[in-house]
Amino acid sequence: MAAASGSDLSSEMEVDAFRRLFPLHFHERHLLKSIRPDGRTLGKARDTIISLGAVTSANGSALTKIGCTTMLAAIKLEVMTPTVESPDEGCIAIDFHMPPICSPIVRPGRPADAAPVVAKQLSDTILRQLRYLWKNSGMIDLKELSLVSGKAAWMAYLDIYCLDADGSLFDAALLSAVAAFSHLQIPVVSLNDEGRIVLVSEDNGGGKLEKEPVNKEKRKLNLATIPFSLTCVLHKNYILADPTAEEESIMETLVTVVLDSSSQLVSLYKPGGPVLAHTSAIQDCVALTRQRLKELQKILNEAISDMEVD
Amino acid sequence: MAGKGAATPATYSPSLTTVKGKKKPPIFADDANWVRSDGRHFHQCRPAFLRTNAVNSASGSAYAEFGNTKVIVSVFGPRESKKAMMYSDVGRLNCNVSYTTFATVHRNQGSDSKELSSMLYKALEGAIILESFPKTTVDVFALVLESGGSDLPVIISCASLALADAGILLYDLVAAVSVSCLGKNLVIDPILEEESHQDGSFMISCMPSRNEISQLTLTGEWSTPKISEAMELCLDACSKLAKIMRSSLREPLSASEE
Repeated sequence: MAAASGSDLSSEMEVDAFRRLFPLHFHERHLLKSIRPDGRTLGKARDTIISLGAVTSANGSALTKIGCTTMLAAIKLEVMTPTVESPDEGCIAIDFHMPPICSPIVRPGRPADAAPVVAKQLSDTILRQLRYLWKNSGMIDLKELSLVSGKAAWMAYLDIYCLDADGSLFDAALLSAVAAFSHLQIPVVSLNDEGRIVLVSEDNGGGKLEKEPVNKEKRKLNLATIPFSLTCVLHKNYILADPTAEEESIMETLVTVVLDSSSQLVSLYKPGGPVLAHTSAIQDCVALTRQRLKELQKILNEAISDMEVD
Repeated sequence: MAGKGAATPATYSPSLTTVKGKKKPPIFADDANWVRSDGRHFHQCRPAFLRTNAVNSASGSAYAEFGNTKVIVSVFGPRESKKAMMYSDVGRLNCNVSYTTFATVHRNQGSDSKELSSMLYKALEGAIILESFPKTTVDVFALVLESGGSDLPVIISCASLALADAGILLYDLVAAVSVSCLGKNLVIDPILEEESHQDGSFMISCMPSRNEISQLTLTGEWSTPKISEAMELCLDACSKLAKIMRSSLREPLSASEE
């Protein structure tokens, strides 16, 4: 048995070699002492950084880092003709990219396996519009993206790029998406004679405008509720918050909990895995996410207030 | 009228209001008093910001920011070549350059750039000691986060820094600089706006400590004296850029020693 031989060899082997040859055993020996190889306790997430406005060519953007996992999200606004069914609603298109720079397993021309999974989770979380139950339960009211009813509305293209993949991709991607939306600045536009939407340039704002702007001032989106998430790895009886790529690859059972700002459950993913979690384990994951929610809210608010000072 | 039945509505980004009878002022005038839109002199490069070790999961990486041009390059390997590859007693280099969807002013599909990929390959090929990693491949992947002009020279410089960070043996760092010809003037390190109005462009990638040029491209109409002027400008800028690149390689080392 690998584990048994691992324990015999561990005393006479170098740490790095032991880590590579018996990764599971290496991690389990750490878990016995309630610590992880990077020095964290089991329930602690990695250091998180948010910086807003990283991309100048976009209307809203944010760079987030959770440990080494780095995400860059940018929103570009374009004008579209709304559909007949919802003439006064805009639209949001979400895309998640894993370019080959982010990880040794992604090669050009072949999209990473994880990318479509994260993309689906993201659009489910952000676009959850329970249209037929009650309106505006989602994070963004699509009506705020309307310009001229039935004629023009904003199409928000949200593109999230993973620049460095080191585990908990969904958490970092969701955080960057939320931060980009809170940074989004909607430009002032007006309707010209040909029925097209044009930008109102800021320098002639003092002079007399030919056309009244459609939206009066640079508006920000009103984010009703903000979703935050935490991914945990389950292994035997242990719950490890915010796993690295190494931990994710060794201990395969992941649970992702998404809560909104008022601690209500938005979604919960447990895509199979060898560990069959007890309800108590799931409750522990939710409790960890509730703690993490407060941390993330604080970091996001600090990033926003830093931006306003500048 | 609204929503003519198309499933995916066609979108456009709103353009600036153009007042009739008033043309957009030309970005350059032929007189000597003309200043560049970012306030630089003709022969002044944008401030360069370079950092190594930008991507933790790569063997080596670098981030470069020249004005609004922002590039990340990751290097992977030397690692096993693709199964289909024949045996080779020298190493292989594989380059790929892609753009993000928000890199340009108008949103694009964020596709790979075949042209830039092969230009990058040709610029780096001569600088790498391929004999040092037989049978294996080194992958150089670049992602342009934001395109602000002079993309290729920035990608090349950033990529050679990433290769050095990955510990790949190089003859020398490759520094690349481009010059645009606008009317009678030569402007170094052009921004996007200047590039779109240029009459000709000139780019050199070189290894300054060996005085060797790995790539030289020239487009448009050039007179011989103009070419030698551009060449001198570029070579001078390359050697200065190489010094900045070298110091950015030393930075993490000196930090860890302290």
